Amino acid sequence: MALNLKQQLSSPEGLLKFLIKYNTIFIFIVLLIFSAVISDVFFTSVNLSNLLKQVSGIGIISIGMLIVILTGGIDLSVGSLVALLAVTFAILVNIVVLPVAILITVVIGFGLGSVSGYLVAYQKMAPFIATLALMTVARGLGFIYSKGSPITFKTPGGEFMSNFANNSTIGVPNIAIVFFIIVAAAFVMLRYNVFGRLIIAIGSNEEASRLSGIKVNKYKFLVYAISGSLAAIAAIIVASRTNLGSPNMGMAWELDAIAAVVIGGASLNGGRGSAINTLMGVLILGLIGNILNLLNVPSYPQQVVKGGIIIFAVLLQRFENK
Amino acid sequence: MQNSDSEYRLEMTGISKSFGQVSVLGNVNLKVKHGEIHALLGENGAGKSTLMKILSGVHQKDAGTVLLNGEEINPKNTHDGQVLGINVVYQELSLVNDLSVAENIYLHKLGASKFWMNWKKITHDAQELINSLGFNIDATATVRDLSIVQKQVVEIAKAISEDTKVLVLDEPTTVFDPTDAQKLFDNLLRLKKTGISIIYISHHLDEIFKIADTVTVLKDGVDTGSMPVSETDTDGVIRLMIGRELKDLYPVRDVKVGEVPIFEVKNLTAKDTLVHDVSFSVRAGEVLGIAGLGGSGRTETAKLIFGADKKKSGSIFLHGEEIKTKSPVDAVGYEIGLVSENRKEEGVFLPLSIRRNISVTNFGPISSKLGFISVDKETKNAQDLIEKLNIKTVSSEVQVKNLSGGNQQKVALAKWLSVNSKVIIIDEPTRGVDVGAKVEIYNLINEVAKKGVAVIVISSDMPEIMGISDRILVMHEGSIYGELPKENFSEENILRYSIGEQLK
Repeated sequence: MALNLKQQLSSPEGLLKFLIKYNTIFIFIVLLIFSAVISDVFFTSVNLSNLLKQVSGIGIISIGMLIVILTGGIDLSVGSLVALLAVTFAILVNIVVLPVAILITVVIGFGLGSVSGYLVAYQKMAPFIATLALMTVARGLGFIYSKGSPITFKTPGGEFMSNFANNSTIGVPNIAIVFFIIVAAAFVMLRYNVFGRLIIAIGSNEEASRLSGIKVNKYKFLVYAISGSLAAIAAIIVASRTNLGSPNMGMAWELDAIAAVVIGGASLNGGRGSAINTLMGVLILGLIGNILNLLNVPSYPQQVVKGGIIIFAVLLQRFENK
Repeated sequence: MQNSDSEYRLEMTGISKSFGQVSVLGNVNLKVKHGEIHALLGENGAGKSTLMKILSGVHQKDAGTVLLNGEEINPKNTHDGQVLGINVVYQELSLVNDLSVAENIYLHKLGASKFWMNWKKITHDAQELINSLGFNIDATATVRDLSIVQKQVVEIAKAISEDTKVLVLDEPTTVFDPTDAQKLFDNLLRLKKTGISIIYISHHLDEIFKIADTVTVLKDGVDTGSMPVSETDTDGVIRLMIGRELKDLYPVRDVKVGEVPIFEVKNLTAKDTLVHDVSFSVRAGEVLGIAGLGGSGRTETAKLIFGADKKKSGSIFLHGEEIKTKSPVDAVGYEIGLVSENRKEEGVFLPLSIRRNISVTNFGPISSKLGFISVDKETKNAQDLIEKLNIKTVSSEVQVKNLSGGNQQKVALAKWLSVNSKVIIIDEPTRGVDVGAKVEIYNLINEVAKKGVAVIVISSDMPEIMGISDRILVMHEGSIYGELPKENFSEENILRYSIGEQLK
């Protein structure tokens, strides 16, 4: 393997092939170097830890998005779920003890994801439609339960969460640690666990999966439920960072999550994608935002640059497939 | 080299082509006369499809010349090819499912028209074209609603709707039953009389001898020469293709068939298909053939047993005990396996590796209680089966889409061998598979039966089903019309039962 790699890198075409194959990591490294050169502030611990804090929430829902996309589906509801679940958590943390508040929030997330899962797997609804409907419903419910305004944490439990979310352990923000653990778990599940194998099989050929005796509906149901649960964890993190739950949170996050997964080389037809590459996709999107902020680029041009990067990344993958 | 009086319509000379470092064609020559049916033969991977793709403009040749009516041509894409009058009917159908039959047939004109289409004329013309082919398909029907046979007919109608000079047919009859195939042959002979040159690719040698004038054999990307069909025979052609005699094609059935049936189906009736009142039994070690015309309900019967289609009534017994197969999950639980006729869509996972394809039916032995897979065990299992089935590949990590049809079929089989199935249903075991791999698959079926597995083989290939079965059931209009013991095997008997007649 090592020898192979050496041989591959020794010729110019080999090098190019290598770069195209690992294009996500390559783009990430180039951006990292570019950022370090262009800004003095970039490589400071304050900035880096800010960057990680900013991407953790979206990062967690991106992992949920990845496993849904691997089955050939899509989950448009996650951004709105973050809002509804952040409000839910803020209400709960003010009335029950912290562990119970966390548990109930995650269970509700699982339940809401199950609604999409049920509609897609058992009612054969198109994932785009089912989750679009849930997206609207969840955003609406968020506004109803919060009466349209943010709900502040008022209890010691809330204070604990707020401290946890804003502090670091050995230099790494706690919420980024949560994100990384989820990435690692997804990586292991997708690569070494039967569950991951089966959802990739379903995404690469659903009919062949069914005829191989795989419980296709069960797994399609589960991926949406897991995506909902991860949205709950993301919601708890974002709410804790700001010490409140607001129905305006997670606006258009589902699109960022899809972008991260796609930059990470996943196929929207299902069957192809990895947790590490999705992590890279999340970091690339975060880096672009961060460096443009440091350069004082206003937010509208930032959106243009982000869109350009998405197109560039996907074009590179077209080469890979050739 | 201008030579418009050439006796050849098409001359491909010294064609070479490589993909990356793999040489697919080396110095191939193919010369086709006006009004000739020219058979192009060779095992899968011999380069037939690549040669045809160069002709039609899908691929560009690395070296050599192509002359059409004596003039050099260099089609850069299929549109160029079509303008020159070269039309190809590929094995993979390329129709637009949501358009009507007529729209599909005249799709090329839809793109070329300036403003408006004369729908009435198009529908009328399409209907005439199909009627002239002797098939009964409504030109206004949506392609999605057609059977696979009808789709193939539309595909052929589409190819000849244009001003075609060279018509290439790649395995056109794989989905046809003998009656429909005969209709196609009549049409080809008629087209040939109008001066069209037809290149005919097929693994069915009997077809070649029925209709072709000249035969060219490719082996490993090199042509082993052309000759008039009248100067050779099946054995001669097979020798050219693989260097093997025909009598070696089917294995000797020396399996001791068990006394009692291990698998039994009683009065099985489907909810949504034409299958009704199907009853039969299979004994351990027996290979039971199911023959019949396309659309007679063979595949549907298999899917019904396997739980992929819904049952209305009837019962299934395994080792004398009744089992319920409401879904494929149940069937797999009872160790029943189904190798689908539709390999690419229902059989294998094309983008996944051989290793991952094989383990998908059976994670039990290679994973822990929590579902963590031992990649070492998985790789070893895959390698064992690759070796046992002689799957030609560099490693178990190769994506299945990069294998030839025959090797893909072996992977589809390997999935069920890896679970030690008790009953295996194989629907069209060798469709689109070359002769060499066919022999290996037949031997494999024989070996599986030897282990006491009940094997049910569905096939439209008459020599095949007679060559490998111990007993043949013939289906007609959704139920079993007749049963043939080995001593009564003949193409005529199968055909008589297939069309609902009694034996003579």
